[in-house]
Amino acid sequence: MARTLRFEALYPYPPEQVWVALTDPQAIGEWLMPNDFEPRVGHLFTFRTKPAPGFDGIVQCEVLELDPPERLAYSWKGGGIDTIVRYSLAAEGGNTRLVMEQSGFTGLKGFMVSKILGGGWKRMIAERLPAAAARVEGGRYHAEPDDPLSRCHD
Amino acid sequence: MLMGMDEERAANEVFKALADPTRRALLSMLGEEAQPVSALTSHFAMSQPAISQHLKVLREAGLVSELKAGRNRIYALDPEPLRHAAEWLERHTDFWATRLDNLGRHLREKHGKDA
Repeated sequence: MARTLRFEALYPYPPEQVWVALTDPQAIGEWLMPNDFEPRVGHLFTFRTKPAPGFDGIVQCEVLELDPPERLAYSWKGGGIDTIVRYSLAAEGGNTRLVMEQSGFTGLKGFMVSKILGGGWKRMIAERLPAAAARVEGGRYHAEPDDPLSRCHD
Repeated sequence: MLMGMDEERAANEVFKALADPTRRALLSMLGEEAQPVSALTSHFAMSQPAISQHLKVLREAGLVSELKAGRNRIYALDPEPLRHAAEWLERHTDFWATRLDNLGRHLREKHGKDA
C-alpha cells in the first residue's frame, strides 16, 4: 500500500547550494514557511503559517537526519497529520536531483493516500470521476518518467 | 494537509464506510451501473438483509443514493464524497508542488544562472 507521497525535481545547481536552501532558516522561510530550524539532529522547531479551519497554522517538527549535502529528514506534525518529510539530493552533472518524500500517513489520511494512490480505487475514481481522476492521475507524483514535477527547474 | 472540521468529519464517515471489503465491492458494482439490491446480492454469499445493511452504511456516508423505480428501489453511486477525498489529496500535493517550485525560484534568485 502506497502511503508515501513522493515528489521529484531537478535544479540546475550543485547539491551544496540546494543543501543550503534546505537547511538555512531564512532560505527555508523564503520557499517553504517561516521557521526556527537549526541544522542539528534532535532540534525541535516549528513552521508557522496562516491558521485555517482544522489547522492552527503550526507544524511541529524535529530534525531526524542530517547528512550534508545528501540527506535531510524531519518529523512533520500538524493539521491532522503526523508524518516524516525526507529530502535526498543527488548530483547529476552540475545539477541536483531532489527527491522529497512525505511518509507515515496513518488513519484517515493514510487510508486516503493509499486508496487514492493505490490501484483499484484510483481506477474506480477514474471511471466515475473523469475530472477529479485527471488530477489524481496527473498528480501521481510517483516519479514516473512523465511526472510533471520531474521537469527541470531552469 | 489542510482540512476543515466539517470536511474532516464527512471524510471520516466516508472512509469508515470504505473500510469494509464488501462495501467497496458494492461501490465498484454500482460504479458500473445502478442496480436493485437483489441484483447486488446475487454476487455475494450473503443474505439480502446483510447487503441492505451495508447499503445503509454507504447511504449514510453519502456514497450511495436510493432511487424509487416503481416498486423497486435502485441503488446508485454518488461520487461526490470521493471527489472530496481526491480534492484533499490534490490540495496536499499542490502544497508541495508549489513549495518545490518556490525552491527553484529561490535558488535562481540567489545564484542566478552562473551555476
